[in-house]
Amino acid sequence: MSEQNATILVVDDEEMVTSALRSFLSLETAYRVLTFTSPVEALDTTDSEWIDVVIADFMMPEMDGITFLKAVREKRPEATRILLTGYADKENAIRAINEAGLYYYLEKPWDNDHLQVVVRNGVERATLVRELEARAAELESAHEDLAGFRKRLMQALL
Amino acid sequence: MSEQGDSSLQQLMAGLAHELNTPLGAIRSNRDVLQRAISRLLDILADDVVDASEIEQIRGLVNTLDEVVEIDQVAVDVITDLVASARSLWQTDEAVKRSVDLRKVLDSTLLLLGHELKHRIEVVKEYGDLPTVECLPGQMNQVFMNLILNASQVIPEKGTITIRTRSSDGYAVVEISDSGPGIAPDDLERIFDVGFTTKQTKSGMGLGLGISKDIIERQGGRIEVESTPGEGATFRVLVPHAAESSAAR
Repeated sequence: MSEQNATILVVDDEEMVTSALRSFLSLETAYRVLTFTSPVEALDTTDSEWIDVVIADFMMPEMDGITFLKAVREKRPEATRILLTGYADKENAIRAINEAGLYYYLEKPWDNDHLQVVVRNGVERATLVRELEARAAELESAHEDLAGFRKRLMQALL
Repeated sequence: MSEQGDSSLQQLMAGLAHELNTPLGAIRSNRDVLQRAISRLLDILADDVVDASEIEQIRGLVNTLDEVVEIDQVAVDVITDLVASARSLWQTDEAVKRSVDLRKVLDSTLLLLGHELKHRIEVVKEYGDLPTVECLPGQMNQVFMNLILNASQVIPEKGTITIRTRSSDGYAVVEISDSGPGIAPDDLERIFDVGFTTKQTKSGMGLGLGISKDIIERQGGRIEVESTPGEGATFRVLVPHAAESSAAR
């Protein structure tokens, strides 16, 4: 998948935030932007959608952002995880980094230029992780072929 | 910071600052989007010629402008409500009684406590008919904030706060119930003593209930508490109706 058609998942219980992010990303990038005000519904989407970058709010009624990002990590480990929070506290930032393997911590109100750079790098990272996985799989299958060939060779020779 | 920890005003300020961040974030981003979209429109129009492909672009940009303006209106409304609520709360030293609907006071308080509540507390409102009461709205707000914050702080993880209003025997009644662990019978007797607290840490507002009782009594009302350990607690605030309190003067 090329970086151009990357999918960005945005989750915040306030529609004004998801809408602002969608307006900006749609204007400045070619990414597909999926927005949700419910983390539970957003999580369901990750079953059927390939996600490159996920941006989640911290304080949401159904599920906090760290729990949500942890769940996304289980389902889509390659997706880059970003926390967008109005509640800047070091303890939660550290928890998010440790528990959810956070890539970046953005504070509200955010700066669009900064956000764009973070998202672009996040897409690049997800693409690289995916490529790496594909190459590793190729290598593994080549290794299996080689082992099979060696076995047949040994049988033929002995 | 004092041993008593955050005062209710400090908590309110923190809550307000947090609540403002969300609409502010949206407006700030949208203002930037407006600027970018307008500069693109100007670029398209710069040569005074608009071709067919540009018409599509213009349509897209105008749609974006439309969305952004609509969301900004929502954000501005949210900020206006927050500021109005904060203002009504800060009028604590205004010594003039006003005729108020306590349900509105409760809603203002809840709006400002949004950040404290929304991620783990479900607030159930069961508002019954309530005549207006003559009181100091800022002080009533302070009492409600205190009771609701206490209720939220005794609930260990997720839980419910139920707020009921009704009219009874010349009093406007407001009940605030929590799904917390309840209060031990020994503590119930001392709960309105100034300085009494069961809280171990700095989140405590040991002055809160004593001051709340004072405020309500000065307005000719009273405050009661009921609790069964294991089944939560209910604080009941009774304030005389407008008609009664003006007749008593």
